Amino acid sequence: MLLCDFHIHTTYSDGSVELRRTIDLFGQSGFDVIAITDHVVNGDSSIGKFARRFNLSVRENNFEEYLAHITREAERAWEKYGMLVIPGVEISKNYLSSDKSAHILLIDVKEFIPACWGFEKIFLEAKLQESLVIACHPHHTSAITDKETLFLWNNREKYAKYIDAWEVANRDDVFNVISLKKYPYIANSDFHKVRHLYSWKTLLNCNKDIKSVKQCIKHNKGVAITLFRN
Amino acid sequence: MEIFWIFAGITIFGLVGYGLQILAVRSHILKHPLHCGEGSSLPRSFLPISILKPLKGLDDNLFDNLESFCLQDYPEYEIIFSLQDYNDPAYKVVRKIKDKYPDGDISIIVERCDIGLNPKVNNLIHAYKASKYAHILISDSNVVVDKAYLREISKHMEDPDVGLVSSLIKGTGGHTVGSVFENLHLNSFVVGSVCFLDKFLKMPCVVGKSMLMGKRDLEAIGGLRAVKDILAEDYVIGERMHRSGKKVVLSDYMISNVNEYWGIKKFLNRHTRWGKLRWKIGGIKYLSELIGNPVFMACLPVLLWEPSKTTISFALLVSLVKTSGDFYLGRKTGAELNNPFLYMLSPVKDLLIGIIWFIPLLNNTIVWRGSRYIIGRNSMLSPCAETGFWSLRYRIADAIKGRFA
Repeated sequence: MLLCDFHIHTTYSDGSVELRRTIDLFGQSGFDVIAITDHVVNGDSSIGKFARRFNLSVRENNFEEYLAHITREAERAWEKYGMLVIPGVEISKNYLSSDKSAHILLIDVKEFIPACWGFEKIFLEAKLQESLVIACHPHHTSAITDKETLFLWNNREKYAKYIDAWEVANRDDVFNVISLKKYPYIANSDFHKVRHLYSWKTLLNCNKDIKSVKQCIKHNKGVAITLFRN
Repeated sequence: MEIFWIFAGITIFGLVGYGLQILAVRSHILKHPLHCGEGSSLPRSFLPISILKPLKGLDDNLFDNLESFCLQDYPEYEIIFSLQDYNDPAYKVVRKIKDKYPDGDISIIVERCDIGLNPKVNNLIHAYKASKYAHILISDSNVVVDKAYLREISKHMEDPDVGLVSSLIKGTGGHTVGSVFENLHLNSFVVGSVCFLDKFLKMPCVVGKSMLMGKRDLEAIGGLRAVKDILAEDYVIGERMHRSGKKVVLSDYMISNVNEYWGIKKFLNRHTRWGKLRWKIGGIKYLSELIGNPVFMACLPVLLWEPSKTTISFALLVSLVKTSGDFYLGRKTGAELNNPFLYMLSPVKDLLIGIIWFIPLLNNTIVWRGSRYIIGRNSMLSPCAETGFWSLRYRIADAIKGRFA
């Protein structure tokens, strides 16, 4: 089984560990597949403007550099650790109301997708790029300091068809509603700090290449979750 | 004011002791220029070695640490990674190492062993049984070495009187305050004390991160089973080897202990445990550690009595001297902290170490890898009762910790 984490932030957005060190941290810990998913924040709300003002977001003008950096590090990670690194982003639509806010992971993204686009447009563009669409922390979380993102869950009837998998667990939280609805699932750390390494992870029973990983998640066969602890 | 002068006297005594530690380290390094590389002398023969690597959980830099042992410039050696459990996160890392070096003589042993109370010894028992060579190297998972390491340490084994070869350790890296404290402590107190004991007192002080010995010599002092219930198994093996008439040698090779992401709690826990161990082994000699902490002794009059210009200036001056000494030792031993300004944290670390020095006098239990033990004389472990009246205090403490967690 491949030990995987598809939700990792670096200093390109609000993570505290820079990209190279993040990759080394996961590589040194024996991971097989990770996705770097820094925030792309919407600029059409006060929260989004604040994040962009303080460079807590990947933007159109540094997206190429972001992708190129991940690609370089991915080659190094493969060479040294045999670890697959997939580029991604977390489209972060932040509003004052939790019911309007949503975060979406796009795994294996190739071109910049602005977070201020409408949901359907984002999903369709992601499909065009053959990216995997994952709804992250879709339900109530235990962290008092984190803002909840409930839009996708509240509108699941409309948007579930676009979503390849839902986070059934994120860092320390488990969202049992995902399993009750029998949606495809994965589990991630939402890594921002070193201590977040020890959190929920996904185990995949597939080959270690991007195509097989994406297919495995989409078909949701051979997927398990594990609480990674030291 | 008399009290200040008493403490000032003790502080100066401590500084002299620290000066002697620096001298001991300097003399060790001058006698055996650190690090080896191409120009170092080769052993006349290369004795085959079995490297035993007990693993439990993830250490910082684990992949690189383990990989460095696969890259040794040494003709005949095997590596045995031993774990207690397939679910141990280190298992994935060793699998990757084995896959990366298919031609290396690498084995992984996963077998539960509850023969004793020391989990490291338990972990070593099966690896020891499986080892095929006459010499074993017990090496912790949190150290990284370069390719000349085996060559350098095995040289000492050419002398038939040598029973055990250990190495000095230096702390490197450090992205968090806890790991900077740990590295500062390893590079000053630990390195200094080991060299001081070796040079001036001729006492073997073996640090278990690297122990090379012959199986026959180990068996002669009772083997691993003889230390299965001892917390400081490394020290005791060294001491017994010394008593059996064999030489215990401190190698000229310095191994690196990479500490990157330690929290302060982990630092305090480890040194409280080590303090308890030294208190149980050294007895009254443990007091020398307090006297040998000049920063703490210089700060006591400021903290316990009224702060005055004299006491504060004295504490600052002593802190400056100690920081300079730590910086010198760090440079001398080649320890790489991420930023030289981090040496400024050295007095804070010494104050913390001074405070936790008292804990072993009040408490003789440790929680190690999930189990609670009572430490007895010579660091002998015995299980701690989890039920009954006397265990009530532990249960209350656990309940409070659980509540806060």
